[in-house]
Amino acid sequence: MEQIEPFAEGFVLALAPEFVLVIGLFTLMIVPNMGDAKFRIPLTQIRVPWLFGGKRGKLDSDPRLPGLFATVFFTIAFGLSAVSFMGGMNKTQIVTPGGTTMLQIDEFSRMFELIFFGALALASAASVNRLPATSRADRSLNGLYNNRRQVDFYILLITTGLGMAVVALSQDLFMLFIGLELASFSTYVLVSFIKESKEGTEAGMKYFIVGSVASGVGLYGLSLLYLWSGSLQFADLSVAFAENGMEALPLIALGMLLVGFGFKVSAAPFHFAAPDAYAGAAAPVAGLLATASKAMGVLGLLRLLLVVASPEATEGSAVWLVALGVLSVITMTWGNLAALGSTNPKRMLAYSSVAHAGYMLAAITAIGALNWEEGHVDMSNDAALVVVTALIFHLTVLVCFKLGAFLVLSLLESEKGGHTLESLGGLAKRDPFLAAAMFIFMMSLAGVPPLSGFVSKLLVIMGIVKVALLDVTVNSDLVFSDIHWVWYLALLMVINSAISVFYYLRVGLVMYFHEPEEGREGPLPKGMPVRFAIIACLATTIYFGVGANQLIALCEAAANALVGAW
Amino acid sequence: MTTDWISLPLVALPLVSSIAILAFVAYASPAARERMGPSIRMATLVFSLLMLALTTAMFFGIEYIEGTLDWASLSFGSFNYEFRYVWIESLGIHWSVGMDALSFPMVWLTTFLLPVTIVATWNEKNAAVYFPLVLMMGGALIGVFVALDLFMFYVFWELTLIPMFFLILKWGGYDRKYASQKFFIYTFTASVIMLLGLVTVYFLQPENLSYAGAWTGRTFDIPTLTLHAQSANAGGAWFLGESLQKILFVMLMIGFLVKLPSVPFHTWLPDAHVQAPTGGSMLLAGVMLKMGAYGMFRLPLAMFPHAAEHFQFALMTLGMISLVWGAIVCLGQTNLKKMVAYSSVSHMGVILIGIATMQPLGWAAALFMMFAHGIISPMLFAVCGAFKHHYHSMEIGAMRGMAKHSPWLATSMMFAWMASLGLPLLAGFVAELMMFLALWHFIAAEGWSVLWMVGPALVLALTAAYYLWSMQRTIFEGGDETQPPESLKGQPVPDIGDAEKLAMVIMAAFTILFGVMPWIALDMMNGWTVAFFETLLIPILTGGA
Repeated sequence: MEQIEPFAEGFVLALAPEFVLVIGLFTLMIVPNMGDAKFRIPLTQIRVPWLFGGKRGKLDSDPRLPGLFATVFFTIAFGLSAVSFMGGMNKTQIVTPGGTTMLQIDEFSRMFELIFFGALALASAASVNRLPATSRADRSLNGLYNNRRQVDFYILLITTGLGMAVVALSQDLFMLFIGLELASFSTYVLVSFIKESKEGTEAGMKYFIVGSVASGVGLYGLSLLYLWSGSLQFADLSVAFAENGMEALPLIALGMLLVGFGFKVSAAPFHFAAPDAYAGAAAPVAGLLATASKAMGVLGLLRLLLVVASPEATEGSAVWLVALGVLSVITMTWGNLAALGSTNPKRMLAYSSVAHAGYMLAAITAIGALNWEEGHVDMSNDAALVVVTALIFHLTVLVCFKLGAFLVLSLLESEKGGHTLESLGGLAKRDPFLAAAMFIFMMSLAGVPPLSGFVSKLLVIMGIVKVALLDVTVNSDLVFSDIHWVWYLALLMVINSAISVFYYLRVGLVMYFHEPEEGREGPLPKGMPVRFAIIACLATTIYFGVGANQLIALCEAAANALVGAW
Repeated sequence: MTTDWISLPLVALPLVSSIAILAFVAYASPAARERMGPSIRMATLVFSLLMLALTTAMFFGIEYIEGTLDWASLSFGSFNYEFRYVWIESLGIHWSVGMDALSFPMVWLTTFLLPVTIVATWNEKNAAVYFPLVLMMGGALIGVFVALDLFMFYVFWELTLIPMFFLILKWGGYDRKYASQKFFIYTFTASVIMLLGLVTVYFLQPENLSYAGAWTGRTFDIPTLTLHAQSANAGGAWFLGESLQKILFVMLMIGFLVKLPSVPFHTWLPDAHVQAPTGGSMLLAGVMLKMGAYGMFRLPLAMFPHAAEHFQFALMTLGMISLVWGAIVCLGQTNLKKMVAYSSVSHMGVILIGIATMQPLGWAAALFMMFAHGIISPMLFAVCGAFKHHYHSMEIGAMRGMAKHSPWLATSMMFAWMASLGLPLLAGFVAELMMFLALWHFIAAEGWSVLWMVGPALVLALTAAYYLWSMQRTIFEGGDETQPPESLKGQPVPDIGDAEKLAMVIMAAFTILFGVMPWIALDMMNGWTVAFFETLLIPILTGGA
């Protein structure tokens, strides 16, 4: 493992994707402000072109420019992460001169960066045409948008990306929290970005209040952890946990941190803000909340529960197990039942996202089950590897089909629809390709083979079942009660995915069966970037299902970097 | 020359070509779609005929090239035309296909029904989308039957739902929305429970069997798993232990019993059939129901024979209830298609009874019933479809004296009804007769009460009753004075079209062929059953004696 101090040789290269985003941030701030202003050298008549201020040119006041810039920078960051991940990973740690490890670049963090940057690139591509600029004289909703406002939007997207990247890289609970807050605050604003609409403001407000309370609770837990161990380094914390994990203070702190991350993954009972936030936000932003933001929460949970609280099999290390198991059952059931009754497709997707959070919590519970009893330690890495791989795979393909579904909705949104299921009516007639894409996304969410959603669900089930059967010696004296109770989580998960088919299928029924709403008979808006993003989502949804081999290998490498370090 | 790859185009050709056509059609305007309809229909017909030629050649010809293939004397656990390609290496998932005498008749049946279905529904509206969906359905069904890998099996098992869902949804009757949803959710729910059972079996196998995944060390390979289960079950021991084997058996059987369907999971079937278009019904009844029985033979019965013996009484009861209840409900139906649908439930009961006897003869009867019902029931539904198409009504008694107005339809109906009620020299009779013998033999050997024979005997009468009664009311009654039904609104009463006539004749011809010469298919089924019992069941169930 190579260790680099900040701004020492190799620092910029190691953090190249993040630096690209920083460059993007400055580019977005500068380029749209460039005009024809000239600077007169004092006491002379010589005017030097100064570029900042003045009348802006046609190119740099183009409303699509910021979106295209952001897309390009996200794509470059994605590409750099991919190159660094696949072209022989060079594990690097960023340490302060005092010897504190701040960031660590390994397969695990790179994989999550790929997820974040991929989702952000798709979302920014999809919103390029969403905020049309018109003259100031037009006081309608659209008229208020201009190029500068879009600059704000994409600057926030880039800071979201930076925050998420820091979360992925952090080796220190405090760094992790800073990244989390950077991303969270950006998303609070993004959610309420359409401030002229009532829903947007309400959504942003709710999301902000609930989110900041959750963050506050989490931060308090963090301070308790610091009080207890005197360090927030993952490495130090895990050692301390292995020794005195049963003490009350760390357990309370852990519970509080669970609240903070539980909000991010929208686990019940911290999910109440999520449906409102998703419904009020623009569809690409809602898609981000459901994919990248959720991946960030899961990342935090994995770091906290696996790296900190679970590497050594002491009794205290898995105290959270039962709580998490119960939470996962409540979350998946609640999410699915609530989704059954929602008529707003974005709310439905929000609740389905809650259900997916439940599946992922079940998988994390399974890892905890490894350390519940003594004697598993020697076998645990192998099984934990399966589960963590399943989780990463799930989060990756979620970007393909869940974001894809939101992007389809975003096209409907740009004709002021997308708030009721009925506005999807007759989509099969209006735009057969979009309807087919949406149907495939829905089937993938439901877990129908051969789509990637099926493979991810299968992997999660396999991980849970594998853990449940670790203790079992196969012979003819085997009894059913030998099987660990996490097996029932898998059972509940399959029953829940059967329930979920109801509402996913309903979308298909509406698209193929119902007539278009009045005034919506014509073709959908064009929007090349959105359609391109949808095609990318569709292709990956199918490809990662039929040819899951490579992605599983990548996720396995990533999971190995986390689990292998125990 | 090796011809192992030959089963590949059977799956790939229909799937790839239908998806390509659908993607192409998706961007055409409605008018262009209308124009393309006939040529697409012709293309799908040509594709399906090619597939039929291929499977028929597999039966007759290709074996001479190979020199060693013989369907009837394949030993248990070996397959013809095996082909293997690594799909997902880390989990041990292979694209692994092969056919034995259990799957080959089903594969042939599917390829036989595809062109027949296309011809029988020649004038279906929105042809440019309908016919590719039918073709896709065929590809997915063949995929289920040839798959030798659990993952692949499950993928195709679920894939069959999607074209059928759209066939019902787009071309179905007045209540198609409800029916398609119910159909999808019922079978999906059952199969995810089955999936959990399969995954549990996957992780309970020992590590490093052949074709194991590089990472998990476990295999999805069905023959390998079956062979392992066989050795673990030997000598009276229970593979995976008694309680677990029972639970896993139940979990897998839920998936298959819903598909079959057996009472009490049968309620999706009448809804789906009544609402489905003719082509959808033909494939649904002809092949899709058989997936359930096929899956039982392939997985739970082969892997968990002890549990099967344990649940023998339950299976027999379920089969008996399906048989009798289906027939009783038929009597009360006024809807022609619903009656035929319930008669399917009744006939699937026969299959379940055959399985529950745990006798070679009973299993051969079940296998032949799968095959015979696969030819007869599409004809029943084709008749229903023609009836609906020409008289705009499904009610028994809406049309009377059909023999005078539509002699072709009347003849087809009479033939199909007779075949279904088990007239000697027709295919259905052979299967029913074998089932009767097997049941008698079973009752005598196991000392069960003779009262078990009451059900089948009763059903013989009931079946004859509902078929003859419905025939009497539609074909003969009324005679010369009969009036065309009101639903025709005074237009002249038509007879069925040429394409429909052709399809009827083909199905009738094959019903007679397999009724008169059942050994064409029965030989290989017997061979498979005997091999199964000799190598797998008898050593296990008799405790290794």
